Amino acid sequence: MSTNVQRLYQVLLAPQISEKATFLGDKFNQVVFRVAADATKPEIKAAVELLFSTPDRKIEVVGVQVANVRGKTKRFGRVQGTRKGWKKAFVRLAADQEISFAEGVEL
Amino acid sequence: MQENQEAAVNPLERQLEMSVVLADIEQDVQQRLSRLARQVKMPGFRPGKVPLKLVAQQYGVQVRSEALGEAVQRAFGQAVVEQKLRIAGTPRIEPRQSEDSSRLEFRAVFEVYPEVQIGDLSTSPIERPVYELADADVDKTIDVLRKQRTTYEAADRAAAEGDRIQINFVGRRDGEPFPGGSGNDYPVTIGAKAMLPDFEAALTGMSAGETKTFDLTFPADYHSQDLAGQQVSFEVSVLAVEAAKLPELDADFARALGIADGDLAKLREEVKTNLGREIKKRVQARVKQQAMDALLAVTPLTVPKSLVEEESKLLADNMRKDMQGRGMDMDKLPIEPAWFGEAALRRVKLGLIIAEVLKNNQDLHAQPEQIRALVQEQAQSFEQPEELVRWYYAERQRLGPIEAVVLEDNVVEWVTRHAQTVDKAIGFDELMANAA
Repeated sequence: MSTNVQRLYQVLLAPQISEKATFLGDKFNQVVFRVAADATKPEIKAAVELLFSTPDRKIEVVGVQVANVRGKTKRFGRVQGTRKGWKKAFVRLAADQEISFAEGVEL
Repeated sequence: MQENQEAAVNPLERQLEMSVVLADIEQDVQQRLSRLARQVKMPGFRPGKVPLKLVAQQYGVQVRSEALGEAVQRAFGQAVVEQKLRIAGTPRIEPRQSEDSSRLEFRAVFEVYPEVQIGDLSTSPIERPVYELADADVDKTIDVLRKQRTTYEAADRAAAEGDRIQINFVGRRDGEPFPGGSGNDYPVTIGAKAMLPDFEAALTGMSAGETKTFDLTFPADYHSQDLAGQQVSFEVSVLAVEAAKLPELDADFARALGIADGDLAKLREEVKTNLGREIKKRVQARVKQQAMDALLAVTPLTVPKSLVEEESKLLADNMRKDMQGRGMDMDKLPIEPAWFGEAALRRVKLGLIIAEVLKNNQDLHAQPEQIRALVQEQAQSFEQPEELVRWYYAERQRLGPIEAVVLEDNVVEWVTRHAQTVDKAIGFDELMANAA
């Protein structure tokens, strides 16, 4: 497990917000992220715990599952192309915890 | 909802202090959000399947301010109805510090319509100009028409009063030509006073082909500051002298003015009716001006500021549109509503006064037969009067302006009946002079 904080800041790319992600969040207390393609499960766990912990509350990750999402093949006229693939991480939090992505955002 | 009313410095300004229960608003917000959630689209979700929580995150603030605005409006509207206030202009709503965190307190500041008390008109003098159209006036008008159609013919003689001459001229100050002081093929009508009198005088007596240099001092009150009072010298060469020629008063002249068969008697008749109409219009305009002045003078009135501001803005807008319609660039010519303060004040005052007069005298409202009479009268000056009358009656709203005119006339008539109205003879020129 890496202890390099610099690296951890580059692991999580964006939350994946969708119907499926909401469903998983409700049912299994999982949060879905897009992560760097070369991220490992321990890195993801460390990154989530580092980024979303607040001074008064430490986020605890129970488990991480990943999936490599294949890029779609797209056709532009006669040119066949492929979108980049990406890695999706399903991060399960401890039962009583949650991550709010909109916290502290002033609209 | 509570409110209590306070009198303020401005006699027409009122303040209403009100509060709404925040819990009500929160409930309203929730309702609005769940209604909204059914149609919100967001990437990652099918339409309408977005969780309420996300909808609230995205639209919460906006929905809340909407709900708040409506609650405030409703509370205000209710208070206005309850207290039977007549609000002038738009109310200003200010939040207020509240000790009670479950209520939102605010204050509405607004102006009410003033009570209009029409004063006693019986001592206000109104002069109704009286003028009988005479044959001499018709002659005079025809003369004017002839002058407008003056043609010029080259004449081989020295320029005299009334002639038009074509000149090239160069003006020099201290030997240097100055801007705007030169021109080529420039027509000057001697006696038209378009040029400086000294300039015209110097030209008088010159013939075609002549060249002359003369000194000239600009008058001290000349409009160009730069040149006022300056001594300059002009070098003028006359290209041509043209004598004015008035058109003969004959059938051709009549035809040129639109009398198809060239009958001079008919032309006179036409001019006479037109003049008669013009005189009537001017007399009416004068009486109206005086009547309105009289109304304003006898009715002390404090006018809501907001109404005057709105009216000024309206006037400025109209002006701007008008100017734009004439192809002027509005960015270069800013029009400030403040310029119209005076006019707007007068209009607002008159509007209030006339509304009050009408309220007290229901019979002053425009009657259908009056409207028809006015439409027919206006149609008279067109070639196919029936056509115009039909056009007016084809659509209800086209009669709007006519109705307003009739109404105004009725009010003016009412004022003249109540005021000291005296008939006063007036000269033709005086009547025609200043466009009222």
